[in-house]
Amino acid sequence: MSLRTISPAPRRLLGALACLALAAAVTACGGGGGEGAAPAEQQPPAAACPKSSGKVNLTFWSWVPGVEKAVEEWNRQNPDIQVTVKTTPAGNAGTYQNMYNALKAGNAPDLGQVEFDSLASFRLQEGLTDIAACEPVKQAAGLFAPWTWSQVTFGSGGKDGVWAIPQDTGPMALYYRKDLFDKHGIAVPKTWEEYYQAARKLKSADPDAFITHFSQTDPNWFTGLLWQSGAKLFAQQGDQWSVTVDNPDSRKVADYWQKMIDEKLVATDLQGFSPALYKAWNSGDVVTWISAAWGYSTIRDNAKSTAGKWAVAPMPQWSAGEGKAGNWGGSTTAVLAGSKHPYEAAKFAMWLNSDPKSLEILNREGGLYPAATAGLDLPALKAPVDFYGGQQIFDVFAEASKGVDTAWTWGPTMVDTYRFMSDAFAGVLGGKGTLAQALQDVDGKTAESLRKQSLQVAE
Amino acid sequence: MSVRHRRRRWDPWLFLAPFLIPFTLFTLAPVGYAAYQSLFATRRVGGTFGRRTTVFAGLSQYREVLTDPEFLRSLGRVLLFGVVQIPLMLLLALLLALLLDSAVVRLKRFFRIAYFVPYGIPGVIAALMWGFLYDPRLSPVVDLLGRIGIRPDFLGADTILWSMANVVTWTYTGYNMLIIYAALQAIPADIYEAARTDGAGGTTIAWRIKVPIVRPALILTGVFSIIGTLQLFTEPQVFRAISTSVTSTYTPNLAAYSLASANNYSEAAAMSVTLALATFVLSFGFLKLSSRKARS
Repeated sequence: MSLRTISPAPRRLLGALACLALAAAVTACGGGGGEGAAPAEQQPPAAACPKSSGKVNLTFWSWVPGVEKAVEEWNRQNPDIQVTVKTTPAGNAGTYQNMYNALKAGNAPDLGQVEFDSLASFRLQEGLTDIAACEPVKQAAGLFAPWTWSQVTFGSGGKDGVWAIPQDTGPMALYYRKDLFDKHGIAVPKTWEEYYQAARKLKSADPDAFITHFSQTDPNWFTGLLWQSGAKLFAQQGDQWSVTVDNPDSRKVADYWQKMIDEKLVATDLQGFSPALYKAWNSGDVVTWISAAWGYSTIRDNAKSTAGKWAVAPMPQWSAGEGKAGNWGGSTTAVLAGSKHPYEAAKFAMWLNSDPKSLEILNREGGLYPAATAGLDLPALKAPVDFYGGQQIFDVFAEASKGVDTAWTWGPTMVDTYRFMSDAFAGVLGGKGTLAQALQDVDGKTAESLRKQSLQVAE
Repeated sequence: MSVRHRRRRWDPWLFLAPFLIPFTLFTLAPVGYAAYQSLFATRRVGGTFGRRTTVFAGLSQYREVLTDPEFLRSLGRVLLFGVVQIPLMLLLALLLALLLDSAVVRLKRFFRIAYFVPYGIPGVIAALMWGFLYDPRLSPVVDLLGRIGIRPDFLGADTILWSMANVVTWTYTGYNMLIIYAALQAIPADIYEAARTDGAGGTTIAWRIKVPIVRPALILTGVFSIIGTLQLFTEPQVFRAISTSVTSTYTPNLAAYSLASANNYSEAAAMSVTLALATFVLSFGFLKLSSRKARS
């Protein structure tokens, strides 16, 4: 009995199945089209930001836990501008993709949460509305941490538009197990050299312990380290982009961590935010985390058995006493392209991110570390934190916030840059090449990705 | 008379409509759209943040795809996966089906369901569950092996592909077994009687009669598996979160997904179409090859 004798029905079935496979392959590339000039993407001229008449309904996508409580408060105070919030997964977990798709389809929400590192990508895809002309934004410049304002204005101080309102930031510091540092007689490292010595001392005291984990899927963590070092990954001159991921400063950082990896001082088999990492935190196998202000709740919620044993110190420095810090994460509230009520949307975005009541809710519910300078006076940010042995940890982050380089520029295709970085790091952790070579690789591929987006790249 | 003829000509279409309409809307149209989209490229007027347009770019996106070393590597990876995993899985499925079909096994219904259960578990859940079993710091298996001095690294750069193969085998063996088993059940009993009269034993019947007769079912499961392997997505995507050795271009499907996530829709479409064509060629190549063998 051959296939021929039992055909043709199965054969037709196979044909249909092959078609289905094709469909699966094709739909995997996501929705969304390539056409540029859909009506929804045309931005209103920057000069005009008129009030709408009558009652206005706005839609807003965000993934800040508890953001709906702040929105409820707004809706109570503003019966004429009602906001409907939709809580979504985090941006890179699919929400950005949905926003891009909705922008293409012309039914995007009026407002969306967009992280600092994605602002350029959104602007590149014509997804943002310039709200510089909107009355509520006029006085905003002085209200936010200078580097955040520089980011939402693309370094122009507002001459090239205001593309979002800063929400929160992620100034970085060193979380460490105070009890274990004390036990092994390790001093809190003030420089990266001391951090390396601390790692060695820990290793000799406890061969199973690691000073920290090197997370391959958190390229934005490594980018935070680069930010602190003074490395500049991108520069924009006119319409020309320079990709400088591979530069002397970033190589210095790469070589440092390569040494940590080579000497097995950092855990290389642990992914960030994984159950395995949390177990290692609980068991004391991993004793520090260089992380952002928002990380305090990550440790608190996932390493419960270590309550009271952690403390926070400033990030180790490349030269003693510099007081420089990196930044990891942080979001903005952006008025998306196609919104019919930019004035009202901008007004809401301003309130959400600078009104003391809203800041208080967002900090309490979502653990946000506010970008608004007024937010740093919140009582919650002055109080001692029990989990950290009663330390006033936010004082450390307030200091760190002042040490964040304001001139940092993101690339316009950070999703790609991050992806290339974590792919290249995977190779390094698998034993192929070094971190410095990985940065070279990221540099070349990022330039290529800019070219694919039809951007001019300086050689 | 002619009216009746005409109506008869339309009748089959009427019955096919419930299939054809959604098939056109949700399968053919997206495929066509992707193929169309793959022929364009992004251009910008007025600098970085100027206006974005798309222009016809012919087959240039396909050139990008076919000269992308990461994509070619991902294709090589799934081919290697398929060459090893598919024969193993189908052999296992065939053996299980033959065992279930033989007279010696009891509790047939129980085993039939037990083998099939993994297929009923959503792929993401299965991958997560296996992830916990592989993770050196969480896994009871690794822990037990460690006590007798074996320290396996299921998530390392050299082993992760086979850890995925294991998950896929676990999920689909029962499913393939059921297809083969159904084919076995359709064999009329008098063939066995005749064989036994001729002096054939259980093993001879299995290899000389049963296996040749279920050959079409084996080919069918083979084609399914080839398609499934080239589409590999869930396992690598889930394992990215626990292993430091899975890249964003680990499989072709993952690579296309990553491109689309970075707003490079045209190249993602071109990659998907390329992958679909590769799937076509391999599936039909396999069919052709196996039917030629059957004839000779």
